[in-house]
Amino acid sequence: MMKKFGEVILLLLLLLLFFVPHAEGTRYSLPGKPALTRCRSPEKETFTCWWEPGSDGGLPTTYALYYRKENSETVYECPDYHTAGKNSCFFNKNDTSIWVNYNITVVASNALGSTFSDPVDIDVVYIVKPNPPEKVAVTVMEDKGWPFLRVSWEPPHKADTRSGWITLIYELRVKLDGENEWEMHLAGQQKMFNIFSLRSGGRYLVQVRCKPDHGFWSEWSSASHIKVPDYFHRERSVWILITVFFAFIFLIVSWCIHINSHSLKHCILPPVPGPKIRGFDKQLLKNGKSEDIFSALVVSDFPPTSSSNYEDLLVEYLEVYIPEEQELILEESKDLHDGCLKPKGSTFDSDSGRGSCDSHTLLMDKCGEAKDDEQQTDQDGSQTGSEAQRQQAAWEQEALTYAHEDMISPDMSSGRVKTWPSVFSPLPQYSLSPLSQPSSLETAKQHCLSDSLFPPASLSSYLTQPGQSTKEALRSSYSDFCSSNKQPHLLHPQPDARHHLQAHSDVNISSIGHKEAPAGLQLPTVQSTEYVEVHTVNEDDMVLLHPVPSGHSHGKGCLQMHQGEDYSKVNGVDKNNVLLLQRDVIEEQVDMCPCENQDMNGATESCCTSAQKSIPCIHTTLPVQEEKAVNGYVDTATMFPLPIH
Amino acid sequence: MLVCLVLCGKLTAVDAAPLCTNAQAGCHVLSLANLFDRVIQHSARMHGISNDLHSEFELYFLPSKNQIGRVSRNCHTSSILTPNGKENAQRMAREELTEVILKLLVAWRDPLWHFHQSMAHHHDFNNFSSNKSLEMSDMVHELRKGVQKVVEKMQMLGIISNSVSNLASPEALLASDSAEWRLMKDYDLLYCFRRDSNKVQNYLKILKCRIVPEHGC
Repeated sequence: MMKKFGEVILLLLLLLLFFVPHAEGTRYSLPGKPALTRCRSPEKETFTCWWEPGSDGGLPTTYALYYRKENSETVYECPDYHTAGKNSCFFNKNDTSIWVNYNITVVASNALGSTFSDPVDIDVVYIVKPNPPEKVAVTVMEDKGWPFLRVSWEPPHKADTRSGWITLIYELRVKLDGENEWEMHLAGQQKMFNIFSLRSGGRYLVQVRCKPDHGFWSEWSSASHIKVPDYFHRERSVWILITVFFAFIFLIVSWCIHINSHSLKHCILPPVPGPKIRGFDKQLLKNGKSEDIFSALVVSDFPPTSSSNYEDLLVEYLEVYIPEEQELILEESKDLHDGCLKPKGSTFDSDSGRGSCDSHTLLMDKCGEAKDDEQQTDQDGSQTGSEAQRQQAAWEQEALTYAHEDMISPDMSSGRVKTWPSVFSPLPQYSLSPLSQPSSLETAKQHCLSDSLFPPASLSSYLTQPGQSTKEALRSSYSDFCSSNKQPHLLHPQPDARHHLQAHSDVNISSIGHKEAPAGLQLPTVQSTEYVEVHTVNEDDMVLLHPVPSGHSHGKGCLQMHQGEDYSKVNGVDKNNVLLLQRDVIEEQVDMCPCENQDMNGATESCCTSAQKSIPCIHTTLPVQEEKAVNGYVDTATMFPLPIH
Repeated sequence: MLVCLVLCGKLTAVDAAPLCTNAQAGCHVLSLANLFDRVIQHSARMHGISNDLHSEFELYFLPSKNQIGRVSRNCHTSSILTPNGKENAQRMAREELTEVILKLLVAWRDPLWHFHQSMAHHHDFNNFSSNKSLEMSDMVHELRKGVQKVVEKMQMLGIISNSVSNLASPEALLASDSAEWRLMKDYDLLYCFRRDSNKVQNYLKILKCRIVPEHGC
């Protein structure tokens, strides 16, 4: 039973053996070609050859190495297949000959056949690859305070360098622990090496390898670790000192800059000049309230309200047309005008570029000087001139007083000052005292000169004008001027004024005949109830008037005269700054109508002639006016508050 | 190569200086160890050049390395018995070893000269190779002289016997080998010389470490 069972098992095994290769396929073939990969000798006394087996061929394969020496046909087989491992052949000392060519061949054989590898010729001298150096020792040594590494080693024990059989050269490499780059050093034949320039406290790795004269490099020896102790760097101490020193200097410099920062700022970055708007408060801009800003812009200087700007307007509105020869004179007068226009107490900043006439005394002096000069050049007469001088002085004083008063009283009542320009201020005075007539002359002149608004100071300046050499020309020029300014009617009372003046004053005002004309101009406004048009009304509720043009006003005047109505009186000023004229009935009628038919220039004369007749009218009218002065006329000089309607 | 030329120049200059055997006054006497070092360096240099030339030949003229096998049998110096192992070399007497060295150096003087001549004529080779062959030829000659001087020193010092003096006349050696080397091809010649120069270097080192083992042994 057991035997049978065993036989069956054997049969099965045999069948399996046969079938298994049969199952894989009928791939029985010769073994693949082996190849000698390398042969190496560690000490030039022995050597080993390794081969790579080829394909199996499906059958168990055996390998054999055969070699032939140079100059011999004897084939020897590898003496040792095991010492060096699998697929290797080790040649011991007895079998190794140096400087002899070996012809080595590997044969792979299986059941089917054998396969020979390609033969390889080797000379042991040229296949030497020694073992790595042994006993590598690294120590830290010191040289004048600077540490360095001393690496020492020994040649591999197999390599016989003592007899000179092999000459090895060494190479070592060093690196810091953790880094990737090695530092290579070729040591030559010496067995000791020094490494300098170490990092304080660094951990180093050292490796050594060797090579014969003509051969291969050995493998690197196992890494030797060494730690460099911490040491004080002498160089670093110097650097530390330098750093501290410079830090100290830097602190000092920064402190100085900080102290002088303000002045430095001004030096490097000069402040940009801000905007300068006269009378405008920059703080309002900084505050950022737009309402305040706009109100400030509106309220402050524009349109001008203060009496300082009063003069600006005067200059602005000065529309002068004069013949060429009179241009210079007028310009001079204008300069003086400007020069003496500075009211007392007004505040001009440096930007305005105003002249030097700032003070009251200065004003007088300047005007007085000019006046003196003019008087000297006066051609008419010394006596009259002197008298005129006195009168002029007196008038000047009065003008100045008017100026003062005008200055002082810009605003009489609460917002409703109905102030005539100072030109007209002397009118009541004129009625009051005849002596005031000349002053009215001056004012009239002024009125003639400047179209609408007459600053009080202009009176004095005007006084200087007659002093010019060409008085006659001036007179005519004035007449022309007045006529061109639509004030021809002002001229025609010239003879009236003259006569009137002569009649009323002992002063021979022939020398100041120029003044007569404007003064006389003034009279018709009084006598013949000259009508005026409201030119402008300034902010101080000051009415700027100018006479109505000849044709129109004249006619009006005439008509009014005929009608006996008089609208030259101002009843009051409305809320809206509208002048309310008062209808007055004049007892006497002055026939002024013939003047209508004349043209502008001619009308003056005819009117003048007619005016002469109306002289008595003047007288008569005066009292009327005198009576009415209290009621109708707005007069800042007399400080008459008007009844507010 | 320039460094080698300088080195060789130095060595030749040294060789040119007279060796003071009688320790005359003002004469610079070189120690045996020093002499050995110089000679060894010279032989190393020579071997290096031969190696370079051989590699060049192998690269340009012999693409297949399998031809080495048939070459190695035709070296004309194969008749000279040289130790093929460390033990053999160490077992050999100093005089014998010295003789072998000298024989080898003598045997190669003429072949190398002719080799250089043939290379100069063949414009296939570049100037580098031509200069090397000339240098190699000169080196062999100078090395032989140097070794001879060492031998004389040694004999003077009593290290070796005077039996070596027989080799002073190279003509005797050449007479027997004169015909064989002419049959060699250039490549074979280079191959053989490379090996022989290695032998010379190695034997000199062995001699040095045996006689004056102070440095580098």
